[in-house]
Amino acid sequence: MPTLENDHPTQTEIIVTGFGGQGIILAGKILGMSASLGDHKESTLVQAYGPESRGGACNAQVIIADRPIHYPYVQTPIILIAMSQAGYDKFSGQVRKDGTLLIDQDLVPISEAPCPFYGIPATRMAEKLGNKMMANIIMLGFTTAITQVVSIPAAKKTISQSVPKGTEERNIQAFSKGYDYGLSTLKGQERRAAGQPGAIAQ
Amino acid sequence: MKHSSQTKIILFLCNWGAHAAYQTLQDELRAIPDQVHMIRIPCTGRIDRALLLKAFAMGADGVALVGCDPGTCRYGAGTTAAQRNTTDTGKILELLGLGKERVRFATVLPEESEQLLAFLHSFLDDLVRLGPSTIQQQPAVAELELAVDSDQRLQQIIAAHDIHACQDCGKCSSACPLALIGKPFSARGIATAVINGELHQESVRENVWSCLTCGLCYERCPSAVNFPAFIQELRHLYRQKQSQGDESHGGFLHSLMRSMASAELKPKRWQNLPEKLRIDQESTTLFYGGCAPYYDIFFGKHLDVQTEKILFDAIGLLNFFDVFPRLLDDERCCGHDLLCAGDKDHFQKIAALNGERLNNLGITTMITSCPECYQTFKSTYPAQGIELNFEVVHLYDFLEQEIDRSAVRFTPLDRRLTFQDSCRLARLENRAELPRQLLNRLQPASYEEMQDSGRAAICCGNSGWIGCDTYSKAMQVKRLEQVRATKADLLITACPKCQIHLKCAMEDPFRLDTPSVEMLDLTSVIAQTISWK
Ligand code: SF4
Ligand code: SF4
Ligand code: SF4
Repeated sequence: MPTLENDHPTQTEIIVTGFGGQGIILAGKILGMSASLGDHKESTLVQAYGPESRGGACNAQVIIADRPIHYPYVQTPIILIAMSQAGYDKFSGQVRKDGTLLIDQDLVPISEAPCPFYGIPATRMAEKLGNKMMANIIMLGFTTAITQVVSIPAAKKTISQSVPKGTEERNIQAFSKGYDYGLSTLKGQERRAAGQPGAIAQ
Repeated sequence: MKHSSQTKIILFLCNWGAHAAYQTLQDELRAIPDQVHMIRIPCTGRIDRALLLKAFAMGADGVALVGCDPGTCRYGAGTTAAQRNTTDTGKILELLGLGKERVRFATVLPEESEQLLAFLHSFLDDLVRLGPSTIQQQPAVAELELAVDSDQRLQQIIAAHDIHACQDCGKCSSACPLALIGKPFSARGIATAVINGELHQESVRENVWSCLTCGLCYERCPSAVNFPAFIQELRHLYRQKQSQGDESHGGFLHSLMRSMASAELKPKRWQNLPEKLRIDQESTTLFYGGCAPYYDIFFGKHLDVQTEKILFDAIGLLNFFDVFPRLLDDERCCGHDLLCAGDKDHFQKIAALNGERLNNLGITTMITSCPECYQTFKSTYPAQGIELNFEVVHLYDFLEQEIDRSAVRFTPLDRRLTFQDSCRLARLENRAELPRQLLNRLQPASYEEMQDSGRAAICCGNSGWIGCDTYSKAMQVKRLEQVRATKADLLITACPKCQIHLKCAMEDPFRLDTPSVEMLDLTSVIAQTISWK
């Protein structure tokens, strides 16, 4: 997990962005609540509502820290989760060079970025699971695997408490799906680095 | 254990040179070993691989072909053919765990009787050292006494398969690829004839042996008359009446499979396994290969097919997903083709041996890439009363599940694809969607289905190495025309046999205008194009 070295050694600043209706704010809320209620850290959430939440770029700014947070706005996120091209365009310039960018690869079809980035077809996977609305939860699972910004039990517990009654199990399944995909992404990177990207074909 | 005096050597002796040397030995009352059973033949080249293997299937411990030096063959190419047949049969014996030393080719001149005698003695010594063949002699069909009166059995079969439910609607004939290609053949005709007691009429018999057991008629039949199963039972009845089926390739493949019904046989099945593949003999996941290596040896003579590669690609894919499977070195055939050919007796022996061996391995899962092994272990064994204590999984199921949850991608493949369904997987196991899920993940230049596809796909022309004839060839040509109509330049297959049969049609010297297309198994295409993101 990347941490800030100079100013706030234990503070993790995150922006989640996408378009209205994707559950971006909920994703931010789950991250913050997992950190504070589950992992017993400090967290803040700033949500951008307004016209943006009805289809344009919207975002949630989350800070997670070991000490009290004095200023809740995020200027240079170390984690950027982008679920729309507009959101990516708006915030990619702000993300730190040593940060981590997580994208829905179908919605943000980029081949290079200002920092290391990881893609997942979250919306497509959610559709396969039977509900497009779960893409945000898949994204959270993916983020958890790649950055370990929150713990798995905390994330799962918060998800169960935050999603509509009766959909808990499916949302946990979605989280696991994203998490597994994240682990698999890391494994794939290791394999690539070791010079074994493919299967041994005869 | 057989005593050395019971060792059996079959000696095929060329009439022209070698036999004269043998006669000299006889005239001079020399000590030809009693174990040698000499058969005088016109030319060593005429003893094909089917005959060589049949000798072993019938109890020989060693087989020698003795003929003339290359260049002195009276018929030209006899010696070359004999050498090739000996080498191929040796390779098969090696895979069967018997050792290639058991089949030998030698040349002697008429005056070289001493050399011939020395050859026979040293062959005998070697065979005694090797011990008896582990193939149990296969009973001649005549010995298979009927347990029940065959008429009574026939009535049972008719009842069990509900043949009386046939409404004579003709839908089967309008679906049957053999009827459609113009063969005087009718599924419904077989049903009616059998009910009318005409089972043993020549035309009925011919039809029963010709059926592809492809299941297209079953698919359409409003009364759900299961022809493939019914046909297998009728073939079994014929066998009991000593009526052999029309086995392709001189019965080579059936001899091979029947040999595997011998309990003592310990094949050495995985001799060509590439070193870079990782296996783990402690694993609870077994990979079952099937008959591909035998096919590659046998068909290598005419057709350039390399079906064993499919298995290696399958293991490569398992490795890719961190599965290091167990392999059974003494893996036997699953028995599919024997049952298909009505040879229930040998099928049941093989199935019992397999059931016993596999159930004692302590495995939880068997993965196979062969649709026939899949069908046979998953459905046929339990239906025949052999329960397996592990799960049988098709490689495609494993791949689909893994790919679905993994960060993998497929390299674009600049080919135009179409797909030949396996009749076992698509129709008889009802899994036509399965390969398509994987095909959909590939990144080809284009993909187009053939006119008949999925559950309606036309068969590759033969099942169980039975009844291959000119109509089979015509059917294959029709299928290849369908491939051509899609403009595909790569035909993806899902069964090693589809490749063999279709290739056979493409290389038929009497049909030079048959459309030709490159073929690759789906497993291999995936192995070549998958990678971590
Ligand atoms: S389709 Fe079925 S019911 Fe119709 S003729 Fe054929 S076997 Fe009989
Ligand atoms: S199984 Fe196939 S070949 Fe046999 S009768 Fe039915 S459609 Fe014809
Ligand atoms: S199609 Fe060719 S390979 Fe297949 S059974 Fe007939 S002759 Fe043999």
